[in-house]
Amino acid sequence: MLRNRGLAYAAAFGCGMVTFLVGATPAPVATDPGPIKVAVRRLTETQYRHTVADVLGPQIKIEARFEPEKREEGLLAIGSSQLSLTSAGFEQYFALAGSIAEQALAEGQRDRVVPCKPADATRADDGCARQFVAAYGERLFRRPLTESEIAARVRTAAAGTARLHDFYGGLQLALTSLLVAPEFLFRIETAEPDPAQPGAFRLDGYTMASRLSFLFWDTTPDAALLQAARSGALHTAAGLQEQLERLTSSPRYEQGARAFLADVLQLDGFANLVKDPAIYPKFNQSVADSAREQTLKTSLDLLVRQQRDYRDLFTSNETYINRSLAAVYQVPFVSDKEWAPYTFSDASERAGILTQVSFLSLFAHPGTSSPTRRGIKIHEIFMCEPTPNPPADVDFSKVKDSTQGTVRGRLLDHMQNTGCTACHRRSDPPGLALEHFDGLGQLRTTENNVPIDVSADLNGSKFVGANGLANYLHNDPRVPACLVRNVFAYGVGRKTEERDEDYLAEQTRIFAASGYRVPGLMRQIAATPEFFKASIPRGVSP
Amino acid sequence: MSLRFDRRSLLKGMLGGSAVYLGLPALDVFLDGNGTAFADGAPLPLRFGTYFWGLGLTDTPTGGTRWVPTTTGSGYEVTPELASLAALKDKVSVFSGFRAIGDGKANLVHWSGHASILSGIAPASPNRFDGASFDTRIADAIGTATRFKAIDVDASISRLPVSYSTRTGNTFATPETTPLALYTRLFGPGFQDPNSPDWKPDPSIMLRQSVLSAVTDERQSLMRNVGKADQVKLDQYFTSVREMETQLAVQLQRPGKCEACVVPGAPKDAPRASSVDVVNANTRTMAKLLAMALACNQTRVFNVVHTAGASETYLAGQSKIYHQITHDEPTDARLGYQPETSKLAALVMQALGDFLTELDAVKEGDGTLLDHSLVMAFSDTGYAKIHSVENIPMFLAGRAGGRHKAGQHIVGKGESVTRVSLTAMQLAGAPVGEFGTGTMKTARPISEVMT
Repeated sequence: MLRNRGLAYAAAFGCGMVTFLVGATPAPVATDPGPIKVAVRRLTETQYRHTVADVLGPQIKIEARFEPEKREEGLLAIGSSQLSLTSAGFEQYFALAGSIAEQALAEGQRDRVVPCKPADATRADDGCARQFVAAYGERLFRRPLTESEIAARVRTAAAGTARLHDFYGGLQLALTSLLVAPEFLFRIETAEPDPAQPGAFRLDGYTMASRLSFLFWDTTPDAALLQAARSGALHTAAGLQEQLERLTSSPRYEQGARAFLADVLQLDGFANLVKDPAIYPKFNQSVADSAREQTLKTSLDLLVRQQRDYRDLFTSNETYINRSLAAVYQVPFVSDKEWAPYTFSDASERAGILTQVSFLSLFAHPGTSSPTRRGIKIHEIFMCEPTPNPPADVDFSKVKDSTQGTVRGRLLDHMQNTGCTACHRRSDPPGLALEHFDGLGQLRTTENNVPIDVSADLNGSKFVGANGLANYLHNDPRVPACLVRNVFAYGVGRKTEERDEDYLAEQTRIFAASGYRVPGLMRQIAATPEFFKASIPRGVSP
Repeated sequence: MSLRFDRRSLLKGMLGGSAVYLGLPALDVFLDGNGTAFADGAPLPLRFGTYFWGLGLTDTPTGGTRWVPTTTGSGYEVTPELASLAALKDKVSVFSGFRAIGDGKANLVHWSGHASILSGIAPASPNRFDGASFDTRIADAIGTATRFKAIDVDASISRLPVSYSTRTGNTFATPETTPLALYTRLFGPGFQDPNSPDWKPDPSIMLRQSVLSAVTDERQSLMRNVGKADQVKLDQYFTSVREMETQLAVQLQRPGKCEACVVPGAPKDAPRASSVDVVNANTRTMAKLLAMALACNQTRVFNVVHTAGASETYLAGQSKIYHQITHDEPTDARLGYQPETSKLAALVMQALGDFLTELDAVKEGDGTLLDHSLVMAFSDTGYAKIHSVENIPMFLAGRAGGRHKAGQHIVGKGESVTRVSLTAMQLAGAPVGEFGTGTMKTARPISEVMT
């Protein structure tokens, strides 16, 4: 019984108006009795947070430990397509869901949140509960709920109300149940028969809407995207284009770009970064958190706000600092704001994100720098070139004690060793070029009182120091090609394969031709049919 | 979740038979009936845990060793790197000479060793196992009557949480990484003191059960038209839901009294550093909490990680980490071994000694908690300098309620590590007759240590 059937109602949720089209179409039912599930992708922490803020309000406090994420092929987005929920994790999400539901339906909130009023707030009202479940279920599951999905929650609400003599207490339980459902905690991507190609399948409109929304905004689809899915507009070139324009011109695009950059630049783990206080007394949690934020601020400003050439990320000396970082960089901080723009001088040896504390401290040891780790990460993050596992039976007998001199000597020993040379010849040189920065990212020119040599030879390309490395990366064609691959893999949630190569090469060509602009790249990829291609998993017969 | 309701009227309603969801699932919980075991003087339950540390123990290039006792059987001598176990050696069996066998698969450094021990399969790729870890089979067998099926702990203070317990081979358990987080999970909201005289069931629990039933109702439709890999993930999700249901069901039962249970106070978290002194102190604090979790019947199974495979712990103030030292440090010509490496190995083993001491400090029945437990401790490598997966140090500690003939040194002579794993499973009461694949497949536990 939908009393408001046919009416749209609006609720302000702090970041603009969110409109639910309750009953604008017939009562919500499944689009297809048996859609094929082509992927199950666990919601990331930021996706969860953004979704709850968008759907239930930004005032809701989310205090929980989220499940650890796992990086696969360089991306957490690919890892989250492979992960499930552990029992300890579910316990957290269960408690969190209860807390969110309680906050969302607290007195003072409920009139704004609930689309209808019960006839008697001490008794069950299935019609109103149904409206609530259908509306919020659609935002949380990113598709209309099936009749049985709604009915189960209406029953939960009614039984709870009967117990508590409180309609809103019952609704809390129904909302909690939506928030712990696998359909919310995982993005379940589904395919449907493609009417244009008999026998073939395509992603359904709602799955397309989610892919777009999570790529550009890192959150659940809004009402307009859901409407475009419902109407079939997303399956038309014009309808898709319209949404792409809306998505990229929205202020929320920065939220999506931030999530993408944090993943692709591997800016995670700062909460648990440890440094030996005896060796790096300036390190503390504030430095770690600030370092991450600095890199995000710098890259968002450069790539999204200024829309500059992606490759300037390696060479631009413009950045932002705060008081904590100024101490590590040994530069004055004179602003009364929390963050201030800062331009590194040419003498500082710092240019580009590889010379920021985030990269330098994250890929190092607690008490030393690590040219190998840094080099491996430069290849992996910026060139999409993973380093094979080290061989097990390494003969370390030639390796000399390295308590004297610089680390270069030890690594040159590695490079002499036949089992090590193939990888270390590749991994170490970029790291050796950064050796003027210690394990925290502080500038130094000597190690154990010996001057540090920062020259490098990478497969015949010779460069010197951080600036030399920056120019090398700026001009290497593998670097933009890698970003193209990462945008695609991040959006579709799977690693790229042989069959994707021609497509990726073409996208890279377009990226180059348009001046290496990142927002344009994301839009360009999301406009291609490949981005929405459905591959039916083995063992599922359509 | 705090819902507003009249507790008394709700309870009355519940007892009157009109509860929201009285369908307490027919779990082993109620079949097992251990809630009363303590009060009735029935045998104390058996507990099982794994304890992992990284980088093995020290061998020497000439075939010598800093840890393998020279004598076999009971009354083995205590070697330098086992010094921390001296006081408990009658309760600890030492297994040397067992190896992980790859059958042609590459030795994935700091991974193949413990992946083989835990899953019985030499892993094909790093970061995942090709099967479930065996602790989950023990948890399925003995962990269903307690609030938590298993508790996972990572004391290593690493950048990312470390756990080697997995049901899918891909998703690993989420461990508690600080003493305070462990305390809160065990003794915070939801904990019911088994010795409290005025126990009452919390009526909101049934409401929370109804929340989960709406989720599990949809299981069937969700499982339709799903590929194999996604099915495994969703299965694991529903397993996690079921464990939550068990937790709630257990909380509706009056807990049986536990004589050894003394509810601890909230601990202070350690400073965030991963030097070995800090990691060891962290391990000890968490051991105390875990011991009480076992004594208070909150769980019967645990997995502890002291340090990860390629351990990043270090001596405070020393710039090189332990892992680097194991590889770089030359063998001292006079001593015949790597002195710094061996020093760190002994320090790392101190944490195991301390851990077991904490379990042994809890008096329970006519013995100690350790006497009613079985702890399997092991590492990722044997001699870490060369990433050896031969002679991986393994220990079984605790008398397992009398089932374990503890205090022996068993020499494996190149046999598969899975024999020790199978022994642990059988001693802990998992119904498993065979474990491992390929050359590591075995149906032969080590009978010498079994009564």
